Amino acid sequence: MAPAHRPYRLGRLGALMERESVFSWLMLTPPVLFLLAFLGYPFFYGVYLSFYRREVASVASFVGLGNFVTLSNDPIFWQAVRNTIIFTGVATVLKASGGLAMALVMNQNFRMKAVTRAMLLLPFIVPTVLSTVAWQWILDPGMGLFNRLLVVSGLANPGPSWLGTPTMAMISIIMVNTWRGLPFFGISILAGLQTIPVDLHESATIDGAGTWGRFRYVTLPSLLPVIFIVTVFSIVITFFDFQLVYVLTGGGPANSTHLMATYAYSLSMGAGQLGLGSAVALSMVPVLGLLLVGLTLYVRKD
Amino acid sequence: MAMPAKSKATRRDFLKLAAAGAAGVAAGPWVSRNAQAKPVSITFARESAYVKKFDEHFQKVMAPAYEKATGIKIEYQIQAAGGSAPVQLVAMVENKAGADVAWTQQEWLYRDALVDVSDIAEAVGKEQGGWYDEIKRYSMDKGKWKSVPMGNIGQLMNYRKDWFDEVGVKKFPETWDEFLEAGIKLKAKGHPFGMSMGHGFADNYSWLYPLLWSYGVTVMDKDGKKVALDTSETAKAVDYVRKLYKEACIEDCVGWLDPANNKAFLTSQISCTNNAYSIMVSAKRDLPEMGKVIDHGLNPKGPNGQRYHALVPVTHGVFTYSKDVQAAKDFLRWTMDPKQYRPWIASGDMYFAPYLHGFDKVPEWDIEPRVKPFQKVLETGKITSWPAPANRQHGEVVNRWIVIDMFSKACTGTPTKAAIAEAVAQLKTIYG
Repeated sequence: MAPAHRPYRLGRLGALMERESVFSWLMLTPPVLFLLAFLGYPFFYGVYLSFYRREVASVASFVGLGNFVTLSNDPIFWQAVRNTIIFTGVATVLKASGGLAMALVMNQNFRMKAVTRAMLLLPFIVPTVLSTVAWQWILDPGMGLFNRLLVVSGLANPGPSWLGTPTMAMISIIMVNTWRGLPFFGISILAGLQTIPVDLHESATIDGAGTWGRFRYVTLPSLLPVIFIVTVFSIVITFFDFQLVYVLTGGGPANSTHLMATYAYSLSMGAGQLGLGSAVALSMVPVLGLLLVGLTLYVRKD
Repeated sequence: MAMPAKSKATRRDFLKLAAAGAAGVAAGPWVSRNAQAKPVSITFARESAYVKKFDEHFQKVMAPAYEKATGIKIEYQIQAAGGSAPVQLVAMVENKAGADVAWTQQEWLYRDALVDVSDIAEAVGKEQGGWYDEIKRYSMDKGKWKSVPMGNIGQLMNYRKDWFDEVGVKKFPETWDEFLEAGIKLKAKGHPFGMSMGHGFADNYSWLYPLLWSYGVTVMDKDGKKVALDTSETAKAVDYVRKLYKEACIEDCVGWLDPANNKAFLTSQISCTNNAYSIMVSAKRDLPEMGKVIDHGLNPKGPNGQRYHALVPVTHGVFTYSKDVQAAKDFLRWTMDPKQYRPWIASGDMYFAPYLHGFDKVPEWDIEPRVKPFQKVLETGKITSWPAPANRQHGEVVNRWIVIDMFSKACTGTPTKAAIAEAVAQLKTIYG
């Protein structure tokens, strides 16, 4: 074929552009810059702030590890750490086991399966702030759905104060988080379930495995990678949860539901201590890192 | 072999287009900045007012009038109510961009970003009967006015007169002990009190701080240097609140955020709470029967024989980053001129009560006999930092709920001594 007529004079720049490696980097630059600007910059600015005493509308002064020392002596900080670990731990276990059960049920054949599957995604789709406001009404002591049901069915009168005692408030926020996060587990595990070849189940049945046997030796091992990934994601998201607690309790009563994220917010935006708040936020990173490394090692060993 | 050539042309076109786009974006603001000699607009940010007529009056009457008089357009930025406005203000201050004039909520956190408006405040004071003294604790810093007080959101006891009558309490209790007694009777009838003690704003401190003061206790000494909370009187106040909570209140109130007590009151779950008069407004509008039987009582007196209220100030300030500080100040001065200011206040049904003695006897106070008690809040009201300066550290104490949590901890099982000690330790850290 005759070479096509080229109307351009290829300068040095043009020639450079011809090379895939150069061009691909050129194309990659905008998203990388975007990430640096909107994720990298705030992160490194946060790291910088955590070493300074920096109040709103004032000049920063370097304090080294001063903020972290202050925090290590702050009982509310340690309470927030404890709360965050309990919240994340319990909610993740509930979501993982509930999600697995949900997926196993959804994997069966029944009428309206598609509709049911779509409906189950709702908690995940509705914006957290909106659904949490709805939960505020559901948990209302006198006229909330839960307590009305308890009273009408004669199980309790009056019903418990869902957000009014430290223990119940923690149970409530775990419950709402589980409700919201369950579909994420359910749908992801369901996707994993559908990739397990039917022959595996068939041959297991021929070998004499019952329902439990097939679940234990075929389904679960095949699902483990999916469960692992979803759990890791969920831990990260739950650990940094903010909206739910902010809307439902503001960290109260008496700090019993303060998570590290809400405490960081209350210190930075409420109290105007940007440095101290950043230090709380930064403290979440190593804790989370350790948690993830531990989990990875555990799964590898398995 | 036409394909590679074509693909090249597309790449080039794309890059050219991208470059042109970027240049356009960069040139835009530069051009508009240079073309701008005097400000064409001033942005004024305020949290949405509970009384809707108030914001409407500004938008429909005041803003057009100002534009007509000066040619400057006022962009009225209504911020959502519910606690996000202070965060937006902090973000504006940090980014040095946003509103020129604002309702400077929690200005103790960012006074350095506000311009001196002493000339306006002093002129307004002289013109309209002088300022109530206590507001100076909030609006003034180092002898200079950093904001011009606009009004106080009065907080009083909102109670169900019909239910109080039923248990034989014909007059709202005069002392905290009588208050407890009434609460015990009402709770027995299924109408508990609902006194907010959660991580909200105003509804919790508007009764807990006055209660503490009426036990003769202040959080800090006069200079704001020494923690004054660690006394045996504080222990008595804490014990009182625990008793009140256990014997007279709905269990939930210890965790309540701002809207919770309004909701509980309007759904007939509680017989008394500390709030602005918004509950009455909602009831009159949506629940006329209840609207008739709501009344407002003053905070009871304590062992020291005194009665106190907490001020919730609404102040307006000008940010130093404003492109034309003088234009913003001129606008602020204009809003405070009696010609504008009085109808504006009237449009809000005195929900925002002026800190000016010139308003002490105006007929606007008589629009509703149940609004009138809110005038008393101005007379006996204190800024929460009282008697200490309302500085940044105090803002931290309020926003971290240090004093509120001393009480809520005691209500949820912490022994009195430990609850006080924990609060004192936090105060010492905050005040350094």
